[in-house]
Amino acid sequence: MIRPNRTHALRLLVAWAVLSVIGVVIGLQLSLPPGSQSQQSVDQSWLLKLMTLISTPVFIGVVLYILYSVFAFRQRRGLLEDGPPSYGNMRIQVAWVAITAVVVFILAGVGISELDAAATGTNFTSSSAPTLATAGSVGTTEGHALQVQVIAQQWYFTYRYADYSGVESLHLMLPVNANVVLHITSTDILHSFWAYQLGVKADANPGVDNVTYLTTLQTGSFTVRCAELCGIWHGNMADTNGAVVSQADFATWVAQLQKDNLSIPVPSYAPYYFPSPRVKGT
Amino acid sequence: MVAGGNNRGTATRLVVLVLFVGILSALLFFFIGGFVIRGPESLTASPATVAQGNTPAQNAFIHLEVVGSVAAAITFPRPDDPHPTWVSYLPTTILNVPANSTVTLQIDQEDTPSGLRNPFWSQAFGIEGGTFHMTYFDDKGNPQEGDFSSIPDPATAAHTFAIPDLGVFVPLEGLSAAAPAGSMNVITFSFKTGKPGVYHWQCFVPCGSGTIYGNGGPMQTTGYMAGFLVVQ
Repeated sequence: MIRPNRTHALRLLVAWAVLSVIGVVIGLQLSLPPGSQSQQSVDQSWLLKLMTLISTPVFIGVVLYILYSVFAFRQRRGLLEDGPPSYGNMRIQVAWVAITAVVVFILAGVGISELDAAATGTNFTSSSAPTLATAGSVGTTEGHALQVQVIAQQWYFTYRYADYSGVESLHLMLPVNANVVLHITSTDILHSFWAYQLGVKADANPGVDNVTYLTTLQTGSFTVRCAELCGIWHGNMADTNGAVVSQADFATWVAQLQKDNLSIPVPSYAPYYFPSPRVKGT
Repeated sequence: MVAGGNNRGTATRLVVLVLFVGILSALLFFFIGGFVIRGPESLTASPATVAQGNTPAQNAFIHLEVVGSVAAAITFPRPDDPHPTWVSYLPTTILNVPANSTVTLQIDQEDTPSGLRNPFWSQAFGIEGGTFHMTYFDDKGNPQEGDFSSIPDPATAAHTFAIPDLGVFVPLEGLSAAAPAGSMNVITFSFKTGKPGVYHWQCFVPCGSGTIYGNGGPMQTTGYMAGFLVVQ
């Protein structure tokens, strides 16, 4: 004969298992941000999906246990007496702490690994350190990555292409299937470069060359926003005209940009800017 | 007697509390209301004109002045301005223009050069024909005139006129130190407006004198070096 508390445990276990399977199946169907336009965004979407799948049974277990307890162990109407004494259960406590610790450490490990990949470029297909492009190559050559400088200012981003004589653009254009090294800096105050669909967000600070890595996978447009409150027009510091284009389209575009830039007095490429001279400020 | 005294004391405290809350609410109401009401006035573009001689047809025309300090305005004085020492576009920075039209903007630029932190902004973008017309004074004080796609030297820029969402960016040449007193550079250009909406515009030169890196004061206050283009 099964003891009453075993009956409760069995009911909870079965209900938890069934609901968890349903929850995980639903979780697998979700399309989670930021998408699949770059290797980084694919990795981040996968990470979010993993967290969703692991946390779903935990969430269902906690909510189910609370709801079951509220109904199964409620005080009967008109009955005024204390509940039975509870002395704890060492095995359950150890199991609870151990399972929680394992889940947290797994998620922390996976998350740190992803952060490290974004910070060091280990997602790159090439293990060599990124170098400047030779003529005609746009990020696909072994050991090479397209170098793009992101320059933030109140309240706009511009982009310099170090591989192409340091030409500068109003919008960020990238070739598909390319390794890209983004050098992010600012000419005035603290900003944050956030290309949402590309899965890239990094601080833009004056006097700092903040490097992050990107591998484009799909063509399409993306939005760039500032993710650091940077003054009265911070909300306007956005550009919806960023795009990942085919290699041929990029070559055409950058050639035109080089022509357009001929009349602009572009200074030699510098890794970062300082907010000086302090024009008209004292 | 004692109970009546307590009641009176309670009533007094209640009246004082109600008065205090009422006065505080009124002050807050007037402060917030005043802040909302005191925004800059708007300037509506003059109506369309037809082509006459060498003057092309214009859908709309706006005339602005840029000064190093509001108190030094020549064309559009603003005597009651609370910040007479601030650099500013005048007469206002709220500009009403028609949708799907060509807007011609004339800017009387009277401020001296301060240079561009990013030389990229010396190039004009998004304007009709790719060039702006400019009358200016060279470093010897001689008047000059011409059509330009960029200013020759980023170091001689004073300000820019930029509407990022319309892709319009125009550098404004600073007034030469050798120019006669009371003179100005006149920059004229046209751009197309699109669908109705409110578009933010600003100066890209950090020109807020006396603020950290020049980015405070007039750079952060609507009505001076930034505003809205209301396309309707």
